[in-house]
Order: sequence, then structure tokens, then C-alpha cells
Amino acid sequence: MEKQQEFVLRTLEERDIRFVRLWFTDVLGFLKSVAVAPAELEQAFEEGIGFDGSAIEGFARVHESDMIAKPAPSTFQILPWRAESPGTARMFCDILMPDGSPSYADPRYVLKRALAKSSDLGFTFYTHPEIEFFLLDSKPVDGTRPVPADTSGYFDHTPQAVGMDFRRQAITMLESMGISVEFSHHEGAPGQQEIDLRYADALSTADNIMTFRLVMKQVALEQGVQATFMPKPFSEFPGSGMHTHLSLFEGDRNAFHETGADYRLSKIGRSFIAGLLRHAGEISAVTNQWVNSYKRIWGGTQRTAGAGGEAPSYICWGHNNRSALIRVPMYKPGKTGSTRIEVRSLDSGANPYLAYAVLLAAGLKGVEEGYELPPGAEDDVWALTDRERRALGIEPLPQNLGEAINLMQHSELVAETLGEHVFDFFLRNKRQEWEEYRSEVTAFELRKNLPVL
Amino acid sequence: MPLGGRRDSRFGQLLRRGFTDPTDAARLLDAPALRSAAADGPLLDALAATADPDAALGALVRLAEAQPDGERAAFLDTLLAAKPLRDRLLAVLGASDGLADHLVRHPAEWRALVAFETADLHPGTEEFEAALADAADPDGLRVAYHRALLTIAARDITGTTDVAETAAELADLATATLRAALRIAAAAAPDDDAACRLAVIGMGKCGGRELNYVSDVDVIFVAEPADGADEGPALQAATRLAAHLMRICSDTTAEGTIWPVDANLRPEGRNGPLVRTLVSHLAYYRRWAKTWEFQALLKARPVAGDEALGAEYAAAVAPLVWQAVERENFVSDVQRMRRRVESSIPAAQAERELKLGPGGLRDVEFAVQLLQLVHGRTDPELRGSSTLDALAALAAGGYVGRQDAASLDASYRFLRTVEHRIQLRRLRRTHLMPTEEAELRSLGRSLGFAGEPVKELTAAWRRHTAGVRRLHEKLFYRPLLDAVARLDAGQLRLGQDAAKERLVALGFADPAAALRHLSALASGVTRKAAIQRTLLPVLMASFADSADPDSGLLNFRKVSDALGTSPWYLRLLRDEGAAAENLARVLSAGRLAPDLLLRAPEAVALLGAAEGLAPRPPAALAQEIQAAVGRADTAESAVAVARGVRRRELFRTAAADIVGAYAPDVAPHEAPGQALDRVGSALTALNAATLRGALTAATAAIGHRPPPARLAVIAMGRFGGHELSYGSDADVVLVHEPAEGADERAAAEAASAIANEMIRLLQLPSIDPPLLVDTHLRPEGRNGPLVRSLTSYAAYYRRWSLVWESQALLRAEPVAGDADLGRRFTELIDPLRYPVGGLDQDAIREIRRLKARMEAERLPRGADPTLHTKLGRGGLSDVEWTVQLLQLRHAHEVEALRTTRTRGALAAAVGAGLLDAEDAEVLDEAWVLASRVRNAVMLVRARPQDTFPADARESAAVARYLGYEPGTVGRMLDDYRRTTRRARTVVERLFYEG
Repeated sequence: MEKQQEFVLRTLEERDIRFVRLWFTDVLGFLKSVAVAPAELEQAFEEGIGFDGSAIEGFARVHESDMIAKPAPSTFQILPWRAESPGTARMFCDILMPDGSPSYADPRYVLKRALAKSSDLGFTFYTHPEIEFFLLDSKPVDGTRPVPADTSGYFDHTPQAVGMDFRRQAITMLESMGISVEFSHHEGAPGQQEIDLRYADALSTADNIMTFRLVMKQVALEQGVQATFMPKPFSEFPGSGMHTHLSLFEGDRNAFHETGADYRLSKIGRSFIAGLLRHAGEISAVTNQWVNSYKRIWGGTQRTAGAGGEAPSYICWGHNNRSALIRVPMYKPGKTGSTRIEVRSLDSGANPYLAYAVLLAAGLKGVEEGYELPPGAEDDVWALTDRERRALGIEPLPQNLGEAINLMQHSELVAETLGEHVFDFFLRNKRQEWEEYRSEVTAFELRKNLPVL
Repeated sequence: MPLGGRRDSRFGQLLRRGFTDPTDAARLLDAPALRSAAADGPLLDALAATADPDAALGALVRLAEAQPDGERAAFLDTLLAAKPLRDRLLAVLGASDGLADHLVRHPAEWRALVAFETADLHPGTEEFEAALADAADPDGLRVAYHRALLTIAARDITGTTDVAETAAELADLATATLRAALRIAAAAAPDDDAACRLAVIGMGKCGGRELNYVSDVDVIFVAEPADGADEGPALQAATRLAAHLMRICSDTTAEGTIWPVDANLRPEGRNGPLVRTLVSHLAYYRRWAKTWEFQALLKARPVAGDEALGAEYAAAVAPLVWQAVERENFVSDVQRMRRRVESSIPAAQAERELKLGPGGLRDVEFAVQLLQLVHGRTDPELRGSSTLDALAALAAGGYVGRQDAASLDASYRFLRTVEHRIQLRRLRRTHLMPTEEAELRSLGRSLGFAGEPVKELTAAWRRHTAGVRRLHEKLFYRPLLDAVARLDAGQLRLGQDAAKERLVALGFADPAAALRHLSALASGVTRKAAIQRTLLPVLMASFADSADPDSGLLNFRKVSDALGTSPWYLRLLRDEGAAAENLARVLSAGRLAPDLLLRAPEAVALLGAAEGLAPRPPAALAQEIQAAVGRADTAESAVAVARGVRRRELFRTAAADIVGAYAPDVAPHEAPGQALDRVGSALTALNAATLRGALTAATAAIGHRPPPARLAVIAMGRFGGHELSYGSDADVVLVHEPAEGADERAAAEAASAIANEMIRLLQLPSIDPPLLVDTHLRPEGRNGPLVRSLTSYAAYYRRWSLVWESQALLRAEPVAGDADLGRRFTELIDPLRYPVGGLDQDAIREIRRLKARMEAERLPRGADPTLHTKLGRGGLSDVEWTVQLLQLRHAHEVEALRTTRTRGALAAAVGAGLLDAEDAEVLDEAWVLASRVRNAVMLVRARPQDTFPADARESAAVARYLGYEPGTVGRMLDDYRRTTRRARTVVERLFYEG
């Protein structure tokens, strides 16, 4: 048996752990969990745990549903929120087919494949997410408007606010699970929080995001509130984005950096951005996968422009331009390692494995084909007129999920990256969501039409 | 040329001493720098003993000339007086131009070859370290390194050390050199040195203490912060030191280079950080590493830098290596690695390769390492690191036969020696045999072939390569048979547990059963057992390469039990090289072929003859069946014979299909579509001939002479399109015509009776597979009469015909019965299927709507539309409907579209400009792939199924048939979905639009 496995089994014994949760993620990005007793774990390491894949969104159809979840002992963590003893622990799993080969339905494997491709080209892909979410008093399921847990604003540091306590406990818990936190503050809207995770390779980041969401919900519960990663719960407040800083390394060298170049951006960096821009439309259904995601992108950009209204609506890039889809942050002198680019379209409701996979693939496509980077946007693109934008060649992101689906379904890039199985499932599922939404009579219509028609 | 008597005799003397150019040699000997020495007999004899006397003499003169005036006398005196020095020096000069150049450049270096102490004769790392101790910069290190290399070469060529000792010395020198380089790097950056503890781990041949003269030295770096230092800066310091160390060794300076240091075996290879902490190394190996990386770690040995850290690394990594065999993908990884090693070599140089290619050095090394990984987990004795030591340990433990090990040992030593000598000549990294006569000659002489060096060298090389060739059989499989056969009581054998361990590593799921079968097949003293003992290692290699090794072996046992004593069978296996291998493929590629074979095992004979796998010409087939039918007493026995022939031919087709699919190098490169067409044509011809035989028998059985009606069988669907699969029913419609003057009703009754009898005979229960005849495409389907007269068809089509019927008729082709009637039936339907003016909009709409409804309704519940070969998205039906719509619309004007074959019609549509070549290719690719999957599923499961098998082993076997590497079922499905998705896009555009 491997040492790591021994370590896990020994720890279970010593810490009196009664259950181990085996975690994996479905195609839509929901965390799934199978609890096993420590006694079953040894076998799980050897052979994995069989389960019925057809019960998991996007994994398998009924007749080919045998799947295996195989825990990765290196991801072993004791869960800090269950009262001391007896405790619970978790491990992430890889999903395998009955023959032991990795399942193409496993979002983790989608990302692993994309990373393997980038590694073939000599690159390592690092990501650094800034995750926004709301704390609410409760989560009503009947469609009524939720109430934010506080009324503070951007960077407010108010005594006794739920947020302060919440962030302290949340960060302690994250750190105790081995997830380093970079920065945290209150965001622009009431109840809104932002916590930045330290940069790490994309797979670790994605695992961390999955853990993060659960931890936030857990801590919120313990404080008597609710956490939501819904992209845009309030019409009048900014939505919850997951701006992510991306960088590529060639060995120890930052491949985006070139001393003396504009913005210190290398040829690779420029082509990578060009790739993200050119394919922004077709990957949109993955980076912004919900009907509600497009409310964040298009909702309230006029009202909340400037501080806080940080959702990009148009496909362009800029240097420190907060209205651009892609921002090249200010270069810190002497830090060649820190040259990076920030993608601002991603929202907190994305499946991080799939989203990072398509972002990486789009960027690498630009690098491989040597795309030319169009000129950067100097202005606030929200303030431009439609005609001005057209003159500058700046296209909008998809207006809604339906449009995003149509763009995605013709994308060889996305099909190749997600793999045909996930590609097919994802399109079907999203089309269904779009159709359900389309047939819904909304509060907007009732408010606008009912009184007058 | 003036030839005086004295000169003449000197010429002769020099010629006899092996100089190829005596005139030039004489001139050199007269060089002033050699002075009196030239006349010395022992010196001439010593020159004569070298690998290349001309080169040795030339270098000697240059060396003497290079001596400073004050030193020359001492040099020549020592040369004449000290035989050991003379032999070594001249041996080096004769064997290595590179080292000769070094000596001339550094005229005092010859003194390194004067040896007094016995320790000088077998130095170790310490002695080399002492020899390099004074080097303070890269240049100094190069000179000192080459001085030490000189002594190693001298001992090697004069026979003081054998090839294994030489290789070990080279590795020790490399170790000492790395230490010296690290010392120099540390001295240049004392702060860096103080900040970290850096250990250098030797990998590959350096780690295994079996280095070549000239090769990259593989290393891995591990570092920890020095006490109190921060990890980040410490790692940066260690990285700078490591990078500097690499440059010190690999840079080319005025003094040349030492060797490239290659750190690419580190975690993440080229892209990973050069230096990692121990924890980071371990994290990587636990989480990410691939099987080959563990195989590489087998050789890891701390060589330089912090000893405690190096030891910690070794101790931490070793258990991972010995657990590698338990990793989930070990078996499929190993299968893949074996295939890659075997096929990795460019053909142009294959003839001259010593290292790569079957039977090369790499092959031996790989096989030995694999056995170490498999058995080293339970037997620590096997954990040594050099190839030869490990081979000896494997033999001592009974894991490899003693004789096989001894002959491999000899061959490996020979090949390594040749490699060494070739590299020594110019100090270049190469593993190609030279081509020039002169080089071959000196190479042969350096190996001790004095008489006819080139000829003897070539012969020895051939002998040793041949010895290594059947390597895997010897190393992996033969010991398994020795384990079960127990012939020589005294011999050490693989224990039962070790045998099972090995079978598991080779992919057998039930090792106990496999051992039982092996035992039954190979035990005893019968001729059969003896032949099978020889043969099984070959067969086992094929089984292990398949998706289902267990079934392969079980099936072989069944065949052997059935045929084992018939002399022709044993002869076939013994004499026909390809027969055994083909048999192994056929037996392990699925159930269909073994099922067919086991019903009448004599068909094994087909695998022996060269033309046995070629399809029988349709005419010969027809003749054989008709003759058999004519001879038979009853209709039942006649059709039984015909179905026997059919079974045999089914086996032939399946076997040829499998052999072609699994050994693409045997069948010259062929597009997948071609192989598919061949299977389709063969099966179609076969079913047609069988139908004809059955029709003849049925007509005779009904008893009217002459019969009151002529009958024709019209093939429909895939049968008509020559696209049958192994599992297809024969779709037909039947047409009759009353004979002259016969009563119409009587004729109809007779025709119906004949047809029913034919259908019945073809599916009578028997050991042969039935030929199911399906007539549901006839007018009015199951409600219509089984056989209609030609006039009734005419009337029906005049009044009732529907578009889908016209579409079905596109595939109609007469295959049996009255040829003239068949032709007239074709004439009757041509206007329907190739309607003048094409289709009107109503008809087009109807077809589209029919198809759209079919898509919604026909797919079985729960089936995955992306994987259903027939009705799935972009599957067979999608492509065929698209093609058929084109045919209905345009065949009236485009003659070439009047074909029953899907691929033929696609090509014709492109030719007529009705279809974009690119679109056609997308459709063709999907259709061919779906058809091949369908064939593969049938070969594997022996039952038709319209989607990929759910069972893991079965889907793996389908993947193997389609040419996928082991363990890549997921990629096969992804490729299938992609290919068909693209086809669907084209179908939606071509079929539903425009």
C-alpha cells in the first residue's frame, strides 16, 4: 500500500474518524458525496467504490451506468466543522470506467486532459480566483426576493456586522483545510463578500473552489445565515463574479512576461489573450452557465458602472480597464513572475473544472495559431455608444443563455476540450434550462403588462 | 614506386603486422621524433596488436612530436622499456581517435597510463575523486576527466576489465565528476551553498552503474533549506547551483565537453522545476507519476551533494517503486510501453541499430526492469540496479530460465562492448553499426577478431541479435511453462505465487485458471505437450497483448483438446510460424471466431496456408456449394453441407478480418474502409451462394419437374448493398413467374412452397449458424404474400407504391434464382427508384418527415443516441438516408448514382458535383466507423448489438479491434461521438435543408 494511503488509514484510526466523504463533481458543478466507513476505505483505495452513474447529472445513461469513484489520498482532509469527535473527513475522487480508464464524464478529467495538453506544449497553468458571493438571511424557494444579511458597502469595516465574524471564521476554516486565502473584503453590495484564494495550479484551484463553496455555506449556517453563489440574486446590486487571474509558466519562467514589451506582455501572453477574446462567445455557455449568469453580464451595467459593477459585457481587453472582459493588471516592478491576465466574465456559479479547461483551451488555441492581439480598449466601453463600439470592432458577449448555447454548439474547440460526452450532455441540459426559462411568465411581465393590458 | 630489397622486406613485415598502408607506415616510422624506437621489434608487435595499427602509429608519431624536447627521450625510453605502458598507450591510440587527440593536446598526460599500484587497476569512486580533486574550474575538470577516462579505456581495451566493470567505472567516474562539478559550483556561490542542502540523484545508466563511454548522464535534484533558511530562497539557491553544475559538465570550452547532464526524468519532465524538495518529489510521485517514471526510479542512486538528504530520498522513493505494480493502470501501461519499445525505431536504420528495435539493448533492459517491478515487490533480492546484476538475480531466483539468462547475459555483454568500442573511436554518442569497411575492420579487431575481422564481427552480431530476438517469450513466458511442466527435477522454478504474480501483470484476470490451462497443455512427455511447450510462449505473448488474455488461453486449450492428437494440427503449429500467431490473435479477439472454430476445429488449417485467409472467389464458392447440393440425397443434407461451407467461410472471413486489424504491419497499409468493404463483399457473396444452394435444394424437394414457376431472390438493404456484417439477417424480396403454359395459381403455390422450404432449411437447428431470411420489405409487409409474381409487383407498384418503398428499392439487387427474371424485376423497379425528374417537393417533405419521426420513435428506450451505431446521431441510418435522398433526386440523370452501395453512391455524388468532397468525407468516415464498430461488436460478443458493449472487457476488445491502445476505451468513445457529431451536422444540412 502506498504511504499516503497508510497515512490516511492511520489518521482515521488516531482521530477517531467515523465517516469519510468521497467527493466528486457532476457536470453542472454540483458537489457530490458518498460516505464510506473507514473499514471500506482500504478497498476503495484498491478498487474504488462502484456507484450508479445514471444517478449523477451528466455521467451516464442507465444501461452503461457502472462507474467507479476512486479516492485520491493526497486530497485527504478532516472536515473542520463537524463537532470534534467522532469526526468526518473528505477526499476528492477520480471517476473511472469499469475497465479502470478515466471517465470522460468526469469534469476533473476534462480539466486534467486540458492541462495535459498544455503540459505537452511545455506550459503549466496557474489560476487565482477572486470569489464573490452573498450572505442572505434565508434562501426563499418560492421566488420571493431574498434579504441580504447586512447593509454594508465596498470595503466597509463595520463592527458587529455578520460579515466580519463570518469572514474570520471562514478564513480560519479554509486555512485549516490547507486552502490559502489571499484577501478578503466586503464587496459593493449589501451582504456581498469576496474572498481571494492563493494562486495554484488549475486543478488544485478547482478542487479548492469546490471545497470553498461548501465551507462558505457551512460557516454561514453556523452563523444563522445563508451563502449563495448565484451569479445575480438582486437586480439592483452587482452580481457575484469569479474573476480569475491566469498565468502560464514554462518551467520556472513566466511565459506571459517579457521585459521591455508593452505591459511586459510576451508574444505568448498576447496570443493567449487573443485566443480568449476570439473564442469568448463560444465558451460563454461554460464560463457563464446559468440563465441567471447573463443577468449579471447585462443587468445594471448602466446603474452600477464604476466601482462594483465589474461584469464585462463586451469582448475586449485593456490595461487596468475594469470594463474590459480581460484586464492586464499593473506590472509590479521586479516581479517577473507576477505578469498575468485577469478574466472577468467567469461567475461564481460556474463549474470550475470545465470553466478553467475551456479558458485554457481558448488561450492555447491563440498561442498555437499565433493569433494577433487586437488593440486594447482605453475607454470605459460601457460609456461608448453601440456605433462607437462597432467602429472599434468590439463585439458583445451573448445576450442570454440561448444565444450562448447556439454559439457553443458549433464550436469544435469546446467539443474537443469538454470531450464529446460532456459536450453533448451539457448542451442538452442547458437547452432544457433555456426552454424552461423561456416559457416562464416573470414578475417583470406581470409588473409591466398586467396593470395596463 | 622504388622497391629496393630492404624496403621490400620492410613493406612485407608491415603488411604482415596488419598495417593497411605499409608505405605510409614506413614513412611514419622514419619520422625524426621516433628516432631509434622505430626499429624496435616489440614496439612493432605492440602496434600490430592494436585495433588499428595505422591509426595507432600515426597518433604515436604525433604524440612523440608533441613532447617538449626535454621530455621526448623519457617518453620513448619508457615506451620501449615498460610493456604495460606500451600496451595500454598503443591500445588507446589504436582504438580511439578522440583520446589520441586529447593526448597530443596534453603531451604529458601519457603518464596517467603508468600504473604501479593495484588500486590503480580497479579504481572506485574515491580514486576518481582523488584524481579530480585539483580541478578548480571547468577547463581543469575537463582535462582531469579525460585523463581518468584514458585510464578506463586503456584497462578496457587491454582486457583488464570486462564490459560490466568498465561500465561501472564509467559510472563511478561520472559520480566523481558530478561531485567535483558541484564543488566548483558551490565555491563560485558560497551563499547559495550555505542556504540549502542539495543532493544529486543519479538516474538511468549512471544510477544503475552501467554507463556508456559517451551518453547523457541522467540526474534528478532534490534540495532542502539549510537549517534556519526559508524554503523559497533556499530552493532558488539550489536551482542556481544545479543549473551551474549542469553547465560545468555540459558546456563546450577550449577543452571540449564532458557530457550533457540531463535532468528531464524529474517530475513533470522538462516543464517541472529543476529542483524540488523531498516532500514535493514524493507528492508528485504519489499523485501524478506514470508507470514508466517508477520504472525509471528503479535506477535512482544518490551520487553527489548532501549524503543524508540523498539517502532520505532513496529510502522514501524505493517503496513507491516496489508498489508501482499495484497501480491501477500498471497492466495497460506496461502493454503500451512494450508496444512502444517494439515499434519505436526508424526503419532506415533498423539494420544497424544496437540499442533500439527488437532485440536491441533497450529491449533487454526494459524487459529486465519490468520483471524487477513485477517480482521485486515480494522478493528484495531482485532490487539490484544494473541490468546484468538484475538478470543474474532473476536467474538465481528462478524467475528466468538459467540457460536463457546465460545466453542473454552473453548477448547483452557483446552488444554493449560493441557499443562501447564504437563510441570510443570518436568519443561520440552513437549506437549505429558503422558502414565503412575500415571502421568495421578496426571494430572487429578491437573485439579480438583477428583473422577476418569484418566477417567474424558480422557473424557474431547476427548470432547475438538472433539470441535476443525472442526475448519476451524467454523472459516472460517460458518460465511460466517451466513452472507448470516440471520436467527437470533439479531445476529452480518460478513458484506458484510468483507465476500468478506474473500472470496478473501480464493482464490475466484469473491466474489460477491460467496456470491450470498451462499445466494441462504443457505437462507430460507426449509429442503434443512438447510442441505446445515450445509454442505457448509465442501464443501467450499474443494473448497478453489482447483485451481478454484469459479467454484466449481457454480457447486455445479447447482447440488443443479437440485436435491435439491429429498429426496435421501439430505439424501446422510446429512448422508454420504465422499459423500459431494468427491462431493466438483469432482466439483472443472475441467470441465469434472461436465459436465458429470450435464447432469444427479442422478450420484451424486455414490459418496455416498462405492463401488460407484470402476470400474464396465467389465462383469457386458457388461451385462448391452447388456440387455439394447436387450430390446430397435429401434437401436437408444438401443444405446442411451448404451451411457447413458457410460456417467455414464465415470463420475465414472473421479470422482474416481479425488478423488484419491486429497486425496492420502484416497487411500492407490499408484504409479502414477497404478492409470493411472486403468483409462486406465476402459475407454478401457467401450468403448469396448459400441462398442459391438452398434454393436449388428446395426446388428439388418440392418435386415438380419442371417446376411450374421460376423464382428469383432479390437482395435488399445491406445485403443488396454488399455491406453485410457478421450478424446481419439476409433481407430479401421474392419474385416468381409462371412457367410457359403453367396454371397461375399452381405456379404461385409452388413458388410459395419453394420459398418457404428454402427459408426453413436455412434455419433448421444444427451446429452451424442459421442464415435468417427476412422478407419484411416486401409489399404490404407481413400481410402481403411471401412471393409475388412479376406482374403482381408491376400492378402493385403502379397503384400503391410509397416513397419509402422506392427508397428501399434503391438497394435491390438479384442474388439467386432465375437470372433473367431478376433482370426483368430490376427493369420493373428502375423507374420507381430512379424516378424521371427526381422527386417533387411533396415526396421530399414526406421522406424528411418520415425520418424525423423515426429519429424520435425508433431509438430504444435508455439508449444513448450518441453511441447507437444504427439509429444514433450521425450513425448508419443518418448517412444512408442522406445518400438515398440524393439518389432518388438525381439518379435519373446521373448514371453513376444507380448503385446499391452507400459508399459507391457517396463517391458518385461527389463525382457529379452534387456533394462537396469534404462533406462526403465526413459522412463516409462516420459510416465506415459505425459499420466497423458493428462488426467489432459482433466479433467480440458473437451477438449483434447496435451500440458499444457495456461490459468492460468487451468494450476494451472492441477498442483493440479498432486499433486503440490498451486502456483507451474512453478515447474511443470520444472519437466515435466526435466523428458522428460532425456527420450529423452535415446530415442536418444536406438532408433536412436545401
